[in-house]
Amino acid sequence: MDRLPGSKSFLVGIAAIGCWVIVWWWLTRSGGPVPTLYFPSPEDVWTKFVRMWTRPYIGSTLLEHILSSLYIVLFGWAVAAVVGIPLGIAMAWWKKLKWIVFPIFQIIRPVPPLAWIPLTILWLGIGDIARMSVVFIAALVPWLMNSMLAVYSVDKILIDAGKTLGANDRQILTRIVCRTALPTLVAAARMALGNAWSTLVAAEILAATAGLGYVAVNASQLLDTDVLLVAMFMIAILGIALTALISLTQRYLAPWSVTSVQRG
Amino acid sequence: MLERGLSRLGMVSNRSKSLFYGFLSLTSLMLIWFLSTSVFELIEPRVLPSPVAVVNQLIWIIEVPFSGLTLPGHILSSLERWGWGVFTAMVIGIPVGVLFAWTPWFKSLMNPVFELIHFIPPFAYIPLAVLWFGASTATQAMVVFVAAFPAFVINTQLGVSQVDKILVDAARVYGAGPFATLRRVVIPAAAPSIYTGLRIAISNGWMALVGAELVVGKVGLGFMISQGQENASVATIFVGVITIGWLGVMIDTIVQRSERYVLPWRKNVSLNSG
Repeated sequence: MDRLPGSKSFLVGIAAIGCWVIVWWWLTRSGGPVPTLYFPSPEDVWTKFVRMWTRPYIGSTLLEHILSSLYIVLFGWAVAAVVGIPLGIAMAWWKKLKWIVFPIFQIIRPVPPLAWIPLTILWLGIGDIARMSVVFIAALVPWLMNSMLAVYSVDKILIDAGKTLGANDRQILTRIVCRTALPTLVAAARMALGNAWSTLVAAEILAATAGLGYVAVNASQLLDTDVLLVAMFMIAILGIALTALISLTQRYLAPWSVTSVQRG
Repeated sequence: MLERGLSRLGMVSNRSKSLFYGFLSLTSLMLIWFLSTSVFELIEPRVLPSPVAVVNQLIWIIEVPFSGLTLPGHILSSLERWGWGVFTAMVIGIPVGVLFAWTPWFKSLMNPVFELIHFIPPFAYIPLAVLWFGASTATQAMVVFVAAFPAFVINTQLGVSQVDKILVDAARVYGAGPFATLRRVVIPAAAPSIYTGLRIAISNGWMALVGAELVVGKVGLGFMISQGQENASVATIFVGVITIGWLGVMIDTIVQRSERYVLPWRKNVSLNSG
C-alpha cells in the first residue's frame, strides 16, 4: 500500500515492461502457443514500425498518417475552444443566455459524439470536414461546460474586492474572472483533447482516407496484425504525448495551479 | 458532480424563470425546425427531415423491422452486449482493483498492461476485436469491456486504499481471516467508490458499444444508424441518435437512484470517514 519512491518505482516499471515483452515474445515465437495471425511477435511489430516510416502503407507513410490525424484532431479541438470558451464564459456571466442555450446542450450532451458520425458522413461526405465536425462536437461539450464552471468557481470575495476597488464589469471579467478561471480552462483543454482524440479514432475507422484509425481498420481487414499493433501503439503514444503537452502548458500558463490541479 | 455544482450555483434560485426560458428556447428551436422543413420546405427532406417525419419513422420502426429487427429488438440486442461487457469488466475489475490496492508487487507487475488498456481509446480496439472474433457478440462485448474495465479497477483501488486502517485492524483483532475482512469490512466500506466506478463504466461502455456497432455487427442501435446512413434515411439516424441518448440518460438515472437501495449504509460510511 505504501508508495515506492520515484526513481525506484520507475525502475520497477521498466522491469515490469521488460517482463511483459519477454512473455509476449515467448507466446508469439515461431511454433509458440499464439499464432502470429492473431497476435504478432514483438520483432514483427518493430520491423513494420521501422518500415512504415519510409514505405507507404495504404497510400501514406506512417508520418503522413500521424500528421493527418493530428491535423484533424487539433483543428476540431481548436475550433471547439474558439466557440466553447467565450460561449461558456458568456453563459456564466449572463444568466439569460444560459437559460436559453443550456437546455439545448442538455439535450445534445447525452448522445455519444460518435453517434453523429453517420449523419456527418451523409451531410458532409467522407472528407476532412466530416471528421473535423465530429471532433468539434466531442470537444465542444467539455470546453463549454468547464468554461462555465470555471467562472462559477471564482471566489465571490475576489469579485467583491474588485468592485470595492472600483473595477467595472469588463475589468472584473478580464482581470479577475478570466485569470482565476485559467487552471480550470487548462483542465477543460485536457478533457476536450482526450474526448477529441478517442472520437477521432472512431471517425477514422468509419470514414477516412488517411490517419491512424484508418490504418488500423485496413490492417484488420488485410489481416496485417503487426501493422494494426503499430497503429494502436501510435494512438496510445500520441494520446499520452498530447496530454503531457497540455500539462506542460499548464505549468507555463498557470504555474500557481500545478500542485492543486494535478491528479495522481 | 457537474450537475450538483451547477444547481447549487444559480439554477435553483431562479428555477421557474430558467425553466420558462428553457422551454421557450426548445420550443422555438422545434418551431424553426418544423417551419423550415414542413411548412416552407426550405430544406430538402433528404438532408433534414421534418419532425413529423422523424416521429412517423419512430412509430414505423417500433412495429416494422428495419434492417432485420424492430426498434425494441435493436435496443434489446444493444443492451445485451453492453450488459455482458460491463458485467465481465466488473467481475474481473473489482478483484484486480482490490489486489492493486493490497499487493504492491502485483500492481507493479500488472501496471504496464493496465495502462495500455487505459490509454488506448476503446475504439482503437475495434479493429483488433473484429480480427479476433469477427462480427459476433464477443466483438462488441470486448470493446465494452475495454471501455469499462479501467473505471472498475481505478475506483475499487481508490475505495479499498481509503478504507480506515482501524476498521481492518479491528476485524483482525476479532479474529476475522483475510477473506472475511474483505467481504465484511473492506468491500462494504469501499462500496460507494466502487459504485462510482460502476456509473463511469456504464456510461463509457455505452459509448464504446455504439462505436463498435457502427463499425461491425448486424443488430443494435449503432448498426441501425449506420444502416440509416447507407439508405440515406436521415429520419432513421435521428430516431437512433435520440434513442441512444435517451437510453444513456435512463440507465444512468436508474443506477444513480438505485444507489440508495443497493448501498443503504452509504450515508453512515461517509459520515464516519468524513
